[in-house]
Amino acid sequence: MKAGLEVHQQLATGKLFCRCPAELTETVTGTVLRRLSPTGGETEAVDPAVAFEAARGLLFRYETTPSSCLVEMDEEPPRALDPAALEVALTVALLLHARPVDEIQVMRKIVIDGSNTSGFQRTTLVATDGWIEVRAKRFTIATVCLEEDAARKVGEGNGENRFRLDRLGVPLVEVATAPEISSAQEARELAEEIGLLLRATRRVRRGIGTIREDLNVSVPGGTRVEIKGVQELRLLPKYLESERERQEMLLSVRTTLLERGAKTPPDAPRDVTVSLKGSDEGALRELRRDGVALALLLPGFAGLLGSPAEKKERLGRELADYARSTGVKGLLHSDELPGHGIDASVVERLRRELGAAASDAFVVVVAPSREVGARALEAVRRRALLAFEGVPAETRDPLPDGRTRYSRPLPGRDRMYPETDVPPIPLRSEQLDALRRSLPELPAVMASRLAETHGLGPEVVRELLRLDEVTRFEALTRRGHAPSLVARVLTQDSDGARAIAPDATRDLTEQELDFLLGAVREGRFAKEGLAAVMARAMSGSESVEAALAGSGLTGLTRGELDGIVEKVLDRNARLIAEKGARAVSPLMGEVMREVRGRWDGKEVAAALGAGVSRRIAGKGQAES
Amino acid sequence: MNGTGSEEDPWSILRSLPRGREVEIETAGGARWRGTLVPPHELSGERTVQLKLANGYNVGIRISPQDRLTVFPPSPLLPNAKAVNPQRLPGESGEPGHVSLLTTGGTIASRVDYRTGGVRPVKEESEILAFYPSLEEGGPVRIRTVLDRLSEEIGPGDWVALAEAVAAEFRDGARGVVVAHGTDTLAYTASALAFTLGSLPGPVVLVGAQRSPDRPSSDGSSNLQAAVELARVGALGEVAVLMHAGLSDDRFSIHRATWVRKMHSSRRDAFRSRNGEPLGYVDGSGVHLAAGARAPSTGPPTVDTRLDLSAGLFWFHPGAAPHRAQLAAEGLRGLIIAGTGLGHLASGHLPWIRQAVERGTFVGMTTQCLEGQTDPYVYATGRELLRAGVTYLSDLLPEVAYVKLLFALGRAKTLDEVRAQLLTDWAGEFPGRHGVRELS
Repeated sequence: MKAGLEVHQQLATGKLFCRCPAELTETVTGTVLRRLSPTGGETEAVDPAVAFEAARGLLFRYETTPSSCLVEMDEEPPRALDPAALEVALTVALLLHARPVDEIQVMRKIVIDGSNTSGFQRTTLVATDGWIEVRAKRFTIATVCLEEDAARKVGEGNGENRFRLDRLGVPLVEVATAPEISSAQEARELAEEIGLLLRATRRVRRGIGTIREDLNVSVPGGTRVEIKGVQELRLLPKYLESERERQEMLLSVRTTLLERGAKTPPDAPRDVTVSLKGSDEGALRELRRDGVALALLLPGFAGLLGSPAEKKERLGRELADYARSTGVKGLLHSDELPGHGIDASVVERLRRELGAAASDAFVVVVAPSREVGARALEAVRRRALLAFEGVPAETRDPLPDGRTRYSRPLPGRDRMYPETDVPPIPLRSEQLDALRRSLPELPAVMASRLAETHGLGPEVVRELLRLDEVTRFEALTRRGHAPSLVARVLTQDSDGARAIAPDATRDLTEQELDFLLGAVREGRFAKEGLAAVMARAMSGSESVEAALAGSGLTGLTRGELDGIVEKVLDRNARLIAEKGARAVSPLMGEVMREVRGRWDGKEVAAALGAGVSRRIAGKGQAES
Repeated sequence: MNGTGSEEDPWSILRSLPRGREVEIETAGGARWRGTLVPPHELSGERTVQLKLANGYNVGIRISPQDRLTVFPPSPLLPNAKAVNPQRLPGESGEPGHVSLLTTGGTIASRVDYRTGGVRPVKEESEILAFYPSLEEGGPVRIRTVLDRLSEEIGPGDWVALAEAVAAEFRDGARGVVVAHGTDTLAYTASALAFTLGSLPGPVVLVGAQRSPDRPSSDGSSNLQAAVELARVGALGEVAVLMHAGLSDDRFSIHRATWVRKMHSSRRDAFRSRNGEPLGYVDGSGVHLAAGARAPSTGPPTVDTRLDLSAGLFWFHPGAAPHRAQLAAEGLRGLIIAGTGLGHLASGHLPWIRQAVERGTFVGMTTQCLEGQTDPYVYATGRELLRAGVTYLSDLLPEVAYVKLLFALGRAKTLDEVRAQLLTDWAGEFPGRHGVRELS
């Protein structure tokens, strides 16, 4: 297997080609309806991905926000490329030992799926030919690009896709590796290492969706397939695995088809509405509303489509994905029949009608009109033809279950042309030298410095780096808080808070964390309560002061703690009598239920231990 | 393949190579850049070549005399675009009831040339139809190239040629005529056609694109589609401008030629009717015309293109020196002033205006407010200008008054005749009343 990785990271600067704030918002001020037409190249050179989107004939509705501007609406020419974003991109390039170009030319990359109002994404190649090392293996960095992010898709339906303009134009640095990854493990480690390096600039955005990975995968004899927009790093290995399995399946399907001497499918589908009338349950429900059923014979494909019971990658799913991309809900194929409300006699009738031999397969599409059905089966036919070639060059969407789904044909270089509205930007050697002199610390250097200066373990340091929390860690320790406690708040407790309040609407500021750490230091509450208080503040409009006061975690005196311990000891006299000192650990839970977050766990354990010893000793005295 | 020795500067070789050649540049520092030579940006730096790399990106590389250059043999040229409608010859769809599309050379459509990375305009009929495949959905469209010029280069002589071409299309049985035109001076041309064409049996629709046609989001394609629809079915017998009504691609305003103005440098809804509502709209449900729109005449169309170019337009501003204005007005038979407010300028200008009128020069007053009418009676300045012989032109836009003046001078000899022509309604340019509406 050969795989390459593209890491896209949003930068924490303003937008790339307009001077608008780059924050996401839920406030929508209006909508604008648009169409996009392919600006074809020479007739023979229309990019396949562009032609595919054009054929869908979609309308696009854009939601404007209070910060939307005419550049974002593609109603006026772009402003100059944001110099701050360019500086970050160049910094990344230099950290990766890549070679910057002499003059940056902004390009238009045609994308007419509606995600860009203009119909193209502005992108620039900043540097090429760098490297990064992971576990002593050196990976080539093919390119470092600076480009604008697309608009955020917020809905679809009725032939319309709906986008919000807030994310459009946010600068992205794209780091693309050469196809040198040979295992899923390597992919994940390389992605992590690139992520750390990007965060080392301390000028990138944080949070879900601010970093996205594309994977390019091919197996020997296969074709390059791009899995676009992976947001969860932990799923990278799964996508690689399932893609490898899929490509191997497609190659074996090809071999079988050639061995069988399979013929190409007929051009025209057959109307089988009459044969299926009456069996109008489930997938065939559309037939009740004057729908039509069309069938296409796939000669020699029997057994290759796979039944849905098999969890493996099978060709049937690929055919269904192509059908769905034209707007139908899905298809039925002969490998999964009888079933889905079609009994064996109907299957026999369909076989006769289509003239299908035992080695032949067929697919059925139910659609509201003949036209829609024919379009879907034309896509199925196209895909079936590609099965003779092996692995088609495709862009695929990652699914939450670790598999991928066909999205569109893989775009090529035919969709790039210069953005004439922006003059080229020369890169001067003085500018690059200045950046070289002030390069940020590399992650490895930073890690050993943090470990040394603050006495932190390597795992904690790595976590701080991964979460891009080094800046806040250093600021909070400068305020006099204990490094281990600060690290805990920024890693473990932040995670904990998000687990308690998954719908949290905000992050805590450095000042707020400072307050909470101060409150722990003053003994107002125990560090075990941090996650709960943080969760409370993050999920509402309360200040941290109010969240702490309302949490019920403050104000336990030593006397009250001792009282609670005594009560628990009283309730469990028999247990103590039976187990002696070993009664401490079962009783710990009981005490912690009442004092969790209000008193430090270690001290509770000590108080309990002392209490149990007293009781054992007391009993001994009474008996003697 | 041929490498170059150290004796020749690679820059001079690169400059003489044709675009589209594949080259590799090895810099003194050891960097290698391989790609296709594409035209440099006009603002590219010195000694910088533009290369299109294999991944589609263009980059600029500065060439130093020490660089090593390798030039690869020419790659086979991409085949030319095929004619897409081989069944029918361009310009042969002149059956009765067809729509004629006249192009004036603005880039109604553009193709990207991927070999050079440049953009070139589409002019041939077959190419235009390939670009807008749904143009003929409702019926045949005959495409003619009348001019080949950018909009800012179009002048009065071109208006005459265009007016005659429009009349000829109607005589050939066109149901309506669409004129594709650059947007910068589109409103001037629209006025000129309105003032020269009469008895129109169908719509004359001027249309353009605010957003360049080399972008998928261009408004050109939907504007053109709507304009052809209006020309095909609209019960309209006058010259109109059709452009986007708002920022969405689903509604288009029909503006009277003499009321319309480009009010934004780039927005797709830049064209606005002044002093009144648009004549109507085109949307997904068809063509909707207001009661005030002129009905088609039974024809045949008339054309009167007599004109005299000795006319000028003077935009008064604070600090404008009277002697300079006087110089500018010399030798002219007519001058339009864009005055302030209700039609005023500083009293220092009264002497030269008086002299000009005495010499027989027509002086017409409009307002630079671009909305509302002029009125000489409200303030003393106006009354003095009136006494000096200035003709107040009500709510004519300055540029519309200027265009009208050219043709009025062509048709009239004496100052009184010119005055009378200017104040006569030729093409519905005087709205008559101003309803209460939102100012935009």
